[in-house]
Amino acid sequence: MKKLLLLLILAFTACSTIPQTEVVGQVNLNDLQPLPTPEGYEAVPLRVAVAAVISPKGTVESYSPFLDYLETKLNRPIELVQRRTYLEINDLIEHGEVDLAFVCTSAYIQGHDTFGMELLVAPQVGGETTYNSYLIVPTSSNVHSMKDLRGEVFAFTDPISLSGRVYPTYLVQELGFTPEEFFGRTFYTYSHDEAIRAVASGLADGAAVDSLVYDYAVVRDPALAEKVKVIHRSPDFGIPPVVVSPFTRPQVKEELQTLLLEMASDPTARDALASIGMERFIMIEDGAYDSVRTLIGDIPTSAIQP
Amino acid sequence: MTSKKILQRIWTIAGSVSVRAKILGIVLGFIILLGMGVTIQARYALSATMTTQLEEQSVSVSRDLAARATDPILLNDLLRLHDLLGETLANNPNVRYAFIVDPQGQVIAQTFEGGFPLNLLGLNSANPTEHHHTALIQTDEGLVWDTAVPILDGEVGTARIGLSDVSMRVALSTLTAQLILTVMLVSAAGILVAVFLTWILTRPILSLVHATQSVAKGDFSPRVLRWADDEIGDLADAFNTMTEELARTDELRREREVLRRQLLEKVITTQEDERRRIARELHDSTSQNLTSLIVGLRIMETNCAQCTAQSKATDLRQVASKTLDEVHDLSLRLRPRALDDLGLAAALERLASEWQTRYKIPVDVIIQLSERLPGDVETALYRIVQETLTNIARHAKAKSVSILIEKRGDIVRAIVEDDGIGFDVNTNYGERHLGLLGMRERAELLNGTLTIESALEHGTSVFIEIPLSLHSNVGES
Repeated sequence: MKKLLLLLILAFTACSTIPQTEVVGQVNLNDLQPLPTPEGYEAVPLRVAVAAVISPKGTVESYSPFLDYLETKLNRPIELVQRRTYLEINDLIEHGEVDLAFVCTSAYIQGHDTFGMELLVAPQVGGETTYNSYLIVPTSSNVHSMKDLRGEVFAFTDPISLSGRVYPTYLVQELGFTPEEFFGRTFYTYSHDEAIRAVASGLADGAAVDSLVYDYAVVRDPALAEKVKVIHRSPDFGIPPVVVSPFTRPQVKEELQTLLLEMASDPTARDALASIGMERFIMIEDGAYDSVRTLIGDIPTSAIQP
Repeated sequence: MTSKKILQRIWTIAGSVSVRAKILGIVLGFIILLGMGVTIQARYALSATMTTQLEEQSVSVSRDLAARATDPILLNDLLRLHDLLGETLANNPNVRYAFIVDPQGQVIAQTFEGGFPLNLLGLNSANPTEHHHTALIQTDEGLVWDTAVPILDGEVGTARIGLSDVSMRVALSTLTAQLILTVMLVSAAGILVAVFLTWILTRPILSLVHATQSVAKGDFSPRVLRWADDEIGDLADAFNTMTEELARTDELRREREVLRRQLLEKVITTQEDERRRIARELHDSTSQNLTSLIVGLRIMETNCAQCTAQSKATDLRQVASKTLDEVHDLSLRLRPRALDDLGLAAALERLASEWQTRYKIPVDVIIQLSERLPGDVETALYRIVQETLTNIARHAKAKSVSILIEKRGDIVRAIVEDDGIGFDVNTNYGERHLGLLGMRERAELLNGTLTIESALEHGTSVFIEIPLSLHSNVGES
């Protein structure tokens, strides 16, 4: 009789067991104290900015090996700085809040012409130190040129991006319109791989993207080539350079320049270079960007929000 | 106390309450037991379900936050990050707090206003390879599920979300309250049901009890209704059958009793009549004859002074005198004339003095009767006293006797006491017992009572009480 009772009780409790998680500790949520100020670093890090050419996550992935290489070589912590827009990066450079930066061509031109952004080196990709703007549409689209994109949805990248906004605007102006009049709707994606994705998914009927980014994206994901097609290729623009701030100390500038130029011959730098899709770094003159200046004229600085 | 004793005690207490209380107890007890069981089980189940859900929600919200926070952190868009945390709190009511720490463990953004509970930082963390890590934390506001999710494999930082169990506790309280309310409502309904049930059950039982009590008092008239076709209905039928039988038997007994009394009365009356007749005969003719004989012999005695027959005549006269005396005595004993002519008082005084003379025991007679009593009463009292005196003479060895007769209202009372050796009233004395029974019968025939008090060495007292109202006067017939 007793055994039966015990069995019943066990069955009863077994039917409903609570997953028991143990309490790890105790805290008073209403006992609020001021947060301690972060400890200072023992060594001052080298701050490296990368413009939002690709998505922030993508940038971290791509540039990590490169930054690790720098850190090893310079024996100093490297800090990656990103911002949403090119202008914000320009701002950081202008005020010396970053030491080294990878910027877009148009951002360089504006930075150089307004506050003295200095060229350090330029990357070489596919043997070239130039790149283009690709006008892309979905593969299924009947659009053959910018003319056909009248009244459609267009995706820009950054407000001052040469390949992503300035050049397509130039094309529209050549047709005698402003982008607001010409396109049905526009929006900003703030990075080129996002713009490619917008077109590939049909969110946008067309976009203009950095050719280097496009080529790299297609290499990484061949299926992309089946979703988008390039309908127009711009003239050659000077490749997005590596710059330093006016406040970067000459010794640091020296050291960085030498390091970057010698990377191509350093076996340990191979992965770092491959990760960011560059063959080598070379010296470059400001004059290399004059063609852009001529073609475009003034780079619009107002960031038009969609 | 042994368990058996405890059980017995419980059984006694439980058994001694009324049927209504028993039924009520069973119904309520069952409802409450069921209610309690259900409540406990429901709370348990709900608690288990909600705990699992809250844990899962904790994980999903923090994973979502981690994903959304990646770009703002990388782009140092602190405003966006702050808004994100605020939205997380606003859109998930169970979230108590949310914050982001950088890889060095410094807080980048958080939702506490005016400070931060520093102890919270160290209580949970996630390895870069982990999907998430949940820890249960006891806080001053209750339990909190704290989930840590690495952002970008921990390179950018960690997102932490705290989900409080307030909603669970509220749900449990609500559930408990509702269930208790239901139990109370059902209990109320249950009480009504129990009362109704009790009424159905006890009504026939109570009527049976009343009927049985009436029957015990000798009233065979009640019959019980067959309320329902159940066992109690069968009991009712059986009771009715039994009562009819008892009534019939009682009727028979009464009839027989009446007949017996009538017979007894008849016997006594006949006996008294016969005695009276014989006594009268003895007195009227036999005494007369003897007296004549005595007179004749006396004449012979005086006339024949020198006759040889003179002595013979004297002898004969003496024999006749003696015979005459004996006849008188006999007549007296059979039925004293005084009883018919003068009444009980005179007859008893005569009886007492005669008895006293014969047996040399003083008799004190006190009779307080202002008038004569009905004939059968006087006869009964006379015979009873007579029998008592006979008994005293035979057995008591008394030194004195007292007789008291008085009339109190409608009752005549007689007490005969002696200071003799007494006897045990409860034992049978054979012939004597019959004599006592006869005395009691005489009294009871007249609706009276006869009580004997006696103890060994303490004398005997005989108490007789006979009512006088509603009495037929048998009298002289």
